[in-house]
Amino acid sequence: MLLKDIRDYQILFLSLFLVLGIGTRDWTLRPDLIVVAIGTCLITQLLAERAASIWPHLKPNIQNLFAQSKNSSPKLNFDLLKPQKTNSLRSAAITALSLCLLLRAEHYTTMIVAASLAILSKFIFQIGQKHFFNPANFGIIAALILTKDAWVSPGQWGEDWWYALLFAGTGGMVLKRVGRWDTTAAFLGSYAFLEAIRNIWLGWTWDVYFHRLMSGSLLLFALFMITDPRSIPNARISRFVWAACIALLAFILRNQFFISTSIFWALFALAPSTLLFDYLWSAPRFSWSFVNGRLSFPRRQELIT
Amino acid sequence: MKPFRILISLLLTFVAVICFAPTAWAFCGFYVAKADTKLYNKASQVIIAHDGNRTILTMANDYQGDVKDFALVVPVPVVLQKEQVRVGDPKIIERLDAFSAPRLVEYFDEDPCAEDYDMSRRQGAGTRGAPAASESRNRNEQNSFGVTIEARFSVGEYDILILSATESNGLQTWLIRNGYKIPTGAAQLLQTYIRQNMKFFVAKVNLGEFQKSGYQLLRPLQMAYESPRFMLPIRLGMINASAAQDLIIYILSPKGQTEVTNYRTVKVPSDSEIPVFVKKEFGDFYKAMFAKAYTQEDQKVAFLEYAWDISNCDPCSAEPLNQEELKGAGVFWINSSTPGNVFITRLHVRYTRDKFPEDLMFQETSNQQNFQGRYILRHPFEGEANCQAGQQYKRSLAERFEREAQNLAKLTGWNINDIRKKQPVSQSESRPFWRNIWN
Repeated sequence: MLLKDIRDYQILFLSLFLVLGIGTRDWTLRPDLIVVAIGTCLITQLLAERAASIWPHLKPNIQNLFAQSKNSSPKLNFDLLKPQKTNSLRSAAITALSLCLLLRAEHYTTMIVAASLAILSKFIFQIGQKHFFNPANFGIIAALILTKDAWVSPGQWGEDWWYALLFAGTGGMVLKRVGRWDTTAAFLGSYAFLEAIRNIWLGWTWDVYFHRLMSGSLLLFALFMITDPRSIPNARISRFVWAACIALLAFILRNQFFISTSIFWALFALAPSTLLFDYLWSAPRFSWSFVNGRLSFPRRQELIT
Repeated sequence: MKPFRILISLLLTFVAVICFAPTAWAFCGFYVAKADTKLYNKASQVIIAHDGNRTILTMANDYQGDVKDFALVVPVPVVLQKEQVRVGDPKIIERLDAFSAPRLVEYFDEDPCAEDYDMSRRQGAGTRGAPAASESRNRNEQNSFGVTIEARFSVGEYDILILSATESNGLQTWLIRNGYKIPTGAAQLLQTYIRQNMKFFVAKVNLGEFQKSGYQLLRPLQMAYESPRFMLPIRLGMINASAAQDLIIYILSPKGQTEVTNYRTVKVPSDSEIPVFVKKEFGDFYKAMFAKAYTQEDQKVAFLEYAWDISNCDPCSAEPLNQEELKGAGVFWINSSTPGNVFITRLHVRYTRDKFPEDLMFQETSNQQNFQGRYILRHPFEGEANCQAGQQYKRSLAERFEREAQNLAKLTGWNINDIRKKQPVSQSESRPFWRNIWN
């Protein structure tokens, strides 16, 4: 059972990064905040799933109540009391770990706001069963906007090459299984291209360029956040375009407006455009159960289309 | 003598700053002497008071050559007018340094035979600084090198020019023709700042004013500007420098700790108990410890030496700066009617060209955690201690001395045997084990 789901790998890798970060990178991360983030994410996920599954049954009940209140006693539908399967706790755990890796806060309340809004965003901002905000990214931006004591440390990983290798290796394993390496390639490729143009124009030497691209935070974002298959466009061509747009926006925000957390704002701003891309280029929607069989995702996609 | 080398090794980059979209803002600078002079390179110190897009930058002047040869070039983001530049009080930087420097604290063990035996701290004391650390406006005076004098004014003992340029070779030629010695290789770097629409702040000393002022040393220059860019250019200062340079940055913010966004920010090792003899050689100890930590982190991180809220600190680690002193350091968001927070972050960056290719970028965070580089000396009780607890105490000392020696060796990389030789010999060391029960 364990490690059968590709998300188990992701949980394993993110936990590994967390342990490495705390152990070797001198982070100001507090253990109590990790507990709060994980607890809030899981509880919110359970409650929200429960509420979401009750709602379709509750709705006819309420309608019945209004329609029939005059002549007969309402017929209640008791389906809603049946226990519901919860299958997204893994996703909630991934969201919680991503928040722990990226978001820093002074108070519990901030972490609770970030974690609960991150999970709720999946249920609130969805169209046709597909949520379009990356939950962890939504939580981070929500905390940055709504609270006064949240921050993100872009320099926390430094720019060691062995971190880059670790991220690329583990990220590559997950991406190969879910078939979303194209998003990472498009994002990093476009971003690297834009930075190269800027570097040449300003006349910096190339070590400046590599220093900017080797940032651990950038790689972690490109390999683990922007590739969440559930919230990004379904068709490969649209993922290419979409990721390139995020790279362009992140580049502008960083170099023209000097926002150190530009990648998170860029993803947040362009996440809703996923809907447009899905409308323009249709493709089967991603499902986790889909990749958990033996067939690789691209192969399955071929079989279906 | 290789004047260029010396000059270049002196190029201290100072400071930082800013740039916003329409008008680019940024600082960075270097000294250019007008003659061959013997110069010394010390740690540069910079104070940045920052809130939102507003910054007041204070550059300590550590120039030690002949004042008549002093010249400084700092790229700045916009044209600064006379009222945006002033001369600061050199004492403020000394005060900030002393306040935030890594320190030793001493505790004295109590008589273990006294009624209530406890090792409570009796005294915390002893601080030592860590090794350190005619107005006429003539706009649009165009000449053939594409260099424009945007402003020209005098502040205190300094004559200041604000230049803009369209092309780096032109700027280099202009500076050389006007008697400034520009390090070779500067043109390419000047180019990157010109492309970002920056201006160049050029300061020379007005000897007449300097003699009138009666000061022995040049005073710090302060600049005020508004821009979202929060950075400190260090590249110009490294043009041909081969040796590592030290930069101490004091960042004052109403919000909380400030960190570097494009390099890691790492706390210096702190809170270790070390042997008492270090009191006499704390400077050497700190230098060795810093060098070890610097090597361990692969020479490419910024070290956090101090972080504290100084406006309402309780406890305060040292006598906090009063409101006048804070104002002198550039804190512009508080006055007697509106008290506000002042959080100080002291960063120590030792940088070389190969490990620090990019200018330093900062961000203020809401991190309120206090931190200080702090090293603990525990003086053993020296008197007679004949009671049982006293005997036990004496025996425990040997173990403690050894632990302290190992801490010290680990922190500094000094030879553990040399350290042990300097340690006091615990009397109980030669005590046979049977004395424990057959006394």
